[in-house]
Amino acid sequence: MRLKVSPRLISAIVVGLVVLFFVTQNWGGASVNAKTISSFLVVGIALGGIYAITAGGLVVTYATTGIFNFSHAAIGCFLAFCYWQLTVKQGLPTLVALVITLLVIAPAIGFLLDKVIMRRLRDAALVVQLMVTVGLMLTFMGITLTIWSPKTGRTLPQFFQDTKGVQLGDVTATWHRIITVVIALLVALGLRFLLYRTRLGISMRAVVDSRSLAGLTGAKPSIISGASWALGCMTAGLAGILIAPETGLVVENLTLIIVVASAAAAIAQLKSIPMAFIGGLIIGLSKSFSAVYLEWGTDWTYADEAIPAAILFIALLFLPMARLETGKIRITKRTERLTRPWEAALGAGVMIALVGAWANGWIPWISGTTFGERSTVWLGRGAGFMVIGLIMISLIPLIGWAGQVSFANFAIAGIGAVLFSHFGGQNGDALGIVYVMLVCAPLGLAIALPALRLKGLYLALATMAFAEIADKVIIRHPNMLDPSATGVLFKPVDIFGITISSDPSDRKAFLMFLVVTFSLLFFMLEMLRRSRWARRWIAMSDSPAASATIGVNLTTTKMMVFMLSGAMAGFAGCMFGLQRGALSVDSFPLFAGLPLVLLLAVQGVRYPVAAFMGVIGLASFPALYEVLGKPSWLTAIELIGPGIAAIAMAYRPEGAVFYSGRDLAGLLPWRKDARLEKELMVAKEREQNIGKDEINDMGLTRPFTQDKVAQLDRVLDITDLVDETKMVPTGGAS
Amino acid sequence: MSAILSTQDIVVRFGVLQAVSQASIEVVEGRVTGLIGPNGAGKTTLFNVITGLQEPTAGKVFFDGKDITNKNPFKRARMGIARTFQKLEVFGSLSARENILVAAEQRKTWDRSGFDPNQVCDEILEKVGLSDVSEFMVGTLPTGTARLVELARALASNPKVLLLDEPSSGLNEEETEEMASLLRKLVEEGLGVLLVEHDMSFVMGTCQFIHVLDFGTIIATGTPAEVQANAQVQAAYLGTETVVEAS
Repeated sequence: MRLKVSPRLISAIVVGLVVLFFVTQNWGGASVNAKTISSFLVVGIALGGIYAITAGGLVVTYATTGIFNFSHAAIGCFLAFCYWQLTVKQGLPTLVALVITLLVIAPAIGFLLDKVIMRRLRDAALVVQLMVTVGLMLTFMGITLTIWSPKTGRTLPQFFQDTKGVQLGDVTATWHRIITVVIALLVALGLRFLLYRTRLGISMRAVVDSRSLAGLTGAKPSIISGASWALGCMTAGLAGILIAPETGLVVENLTLIIVVASAAAAIAQLKSIPMAFIGGLIIGLSKSFSAVYLEWGTDWTYADEAIPAAILFIALLFLPMARLETGKIRITKRTERLTRPWEAALGAGVMIALVGAWANGWIPWISGTTFGERSTVWLGRGAGFMVIGLIMISLIPLIGWAGQVSFANFAIAGIGAVLFSHFGGQNGDALGIVYVMLVCAPLGLAIALPALRLKGLYLALATMAFAEIADKVIIRHPNMLDPSATGVLFKPVDIFGITISSDPSDRKAFLMFLVVTFSLLFFMLEMLRRSRWARRWIAMSDSPAASATIGVNLTTTKMMVFMLSGAMAGFAGCMFGLQRGALSVDSFPLFAGLPLVLLLAVQGVRYPVAAFMGVIGLASFPALYEVLGKPSWLTAIELIGPGIAAIAMAYRPEGAVFYSGRDLAGLLPWRKDARLEKELMVAKEREQNIGKDEINDMGLTRPFTQDKVAQLDRVLDITDLVDETKMVPTGGAS
Repeated sequence: MSAILSTQDIVVRFGVLQAVSQASIEVVEGRVTGLIGPNGAGKTTLFNVITGLQEPTAGKVFFDGKDITNKNPFKRARMGIARTFQKLEVFGSLSARENILVAAEQRKTWDRSGFDPNQVCDEILEKVGLSDVSEFMVGTLPTGTARLVELARALASNPKVLLLDEPSSGLNEEETEEMASLLRKLVEEGLGVLLVEHDMSFVMGTCQFIHVLDFGTIIATGTPAEVQANAQVQAAYLGTETVVEAS
């Protein structure tokens, strides 16, 4: 008989050994006795309770609306600041402040989000759903930072700070922590009860499966989804208020709890509230264990903060394989045709000409500004923007075509930059760039590996976790980037007779090198889009099930695109290093990578030209500052810009490049196809909307009566088109 | 005639719900085999089991004499099983031509006969009657046309067996007739077709052999005439003879 070893068992053993290795390697020497154990448990359970609350809220929102809310923790952070404002600043009693924050502001935010944005996202592509919530996350961070300047330190007192707490063996459990645990339990029970025992909760769960069906039961889908979002915001706020006294009232710390909540949600397979609570507890206990027993050496200074991300990765290994689902296809109403080679070449030429003209001062600009003078400072900035453009363009095949949402490319570029400083960058060896690309290609694949067999959302979570691990553990390791080493890491590199470096005298050449490389990549991608590779990636993204049934091996197809994207990001990383000249350990935080993906998505993630438009978008704010001085309204726009972008994406999911491109193409006399396709599209949109909006608006969700059918006909003005006898209900015929 | 595709006592359970119980069917090359039954009888689930999108709880699937029960969907496709879907699964952001081209190019990975994917693509576009709309994004096409794109895509992988899940839904009368004559042409060329369909006149007009599925169980098997005469079928599914005639 063949011995059958489950892959899960092997994974469990491997993970166990790895964890054991890290624990023994970094054992801090604290003796394991009643005192340390109880202190580990008290801290761990309290921390876990807070994580559990926020994870529970995240799972409820996802389970009832189908949207994974990356802004969950950022909303919680904003609400914690609101609470601070009300109690510490305005001096309101705790209870009153809690009621205002959690029962007024939080639900208001939830209903507003649902009404303005989230409802439009129900049928949107995953990348749009995710990018909108990422945009909201950046917005809430921006708003909080604007109202409450980070220059002032703030502390949020614990509940019952002045009391002594309870003596449990050798440790004191503060009342704040005891309350936290009690609240966590109440929230768990309450959410469970709400979802499974109340009419509202059952409707909430029904809505995500079938909106129209839930409508027929008499539930109002709009109120239900509003309630889901309100509930999510309330749990986020509660967790924020509870955790702020422990971690400090700092925007970044509070927002990063999203990684913790995601890890717990992954353990819960995004649906089980009890498991989300257990996941929260596991993470809380792990962090507490690390704090009490482990001593991370100087090599792993920030490893402690990467624990939730590591747990997220481990959880993904144990998730069951996703089935190839059918019937979930989103028919995109797009009109476009393939870019012809000469058009792509023309586009590449225009980019080079534009940047070249700017770099040489041939574009007239308002005199008296440094932007107009093309100072070396501006040339350096321009190179910086082009480097970011290179990172953005590496995402086009991955996110835009293959539909694999990744937040890791900025981190890969960071690792690429650091590696380049070892592989030849320090000697000005151009070959080092090739080595870096050869390492970054499989790296891109390795990040995706645990999530390849899972559904798309998990991949986004895995890449987010990786970005966090790369920032906190990999890049900061002294063997990668020595924090004590200062000064220039990269010597000028000679490629094809051009010297590229951060040196002021080389900057114009460097900028031109970058724009030529960018244009080449742009042209290559446009050609790739016409090839069988891109066709297969897009097919896989549109319908994985149908792709498999025409013989596409989904796993290897995904692997290809991850490697391509990884190599491109690695190249961008080398340029990043050269452009900066030096690197600091905190150059690549998760929060710096997310806006790039958002910026690209807003421009249109399917179109290589969007990366160039993103570069122009990046350059526009500093350019405006140069011209206008630094008016506060511009700063405000810059801060809430991501939010505007997020809302714009909910309404215009294909991105700015697509809509402007389509309309412009229609103006060209020889693009009759563009005009015709737009007509077709508008007609089809109209046809589909009859089913949704107009019937909903009239409240006709109940089974039709002849009167209502007649009423509908009058509204739609189709009375004479339709044979009236056919509209009589025929008992469930579809 | 021996069956090229057969299922043997397939059982599919979703929790307590038994979607398919002990279903055994056969598909023979060169003829249209019908699989009919009321809504929720398990027809699409059986399709999913045959194409590998659904793992059966028990039972086996045989193709070309080999047990393919545990094979990946893409491997089954490469052996010669193609399908369409009840709810459209077209590649909406590719043009009609690209939808077919992607399948024809994919065929290159296992079919070494040295064909030209572009030429295959043009031939199929012609055959199915999509040449006029080949450059349009499928997402902008009407449902009936998109269904033809799906059929064309399935044909592009040069299958031995083609599974069609309600091909006539969304088609008007004229289009349905065209679909029927296309199917007749395809089986004449030797293709085996398994057809799930609600339009009874379409089924009775095109199928040479029919399996009737009810509550996951095969309740009748035979020629259209035999099936129509079967009392159990009439009771369980067709209701009365008049319904058959009326539709």
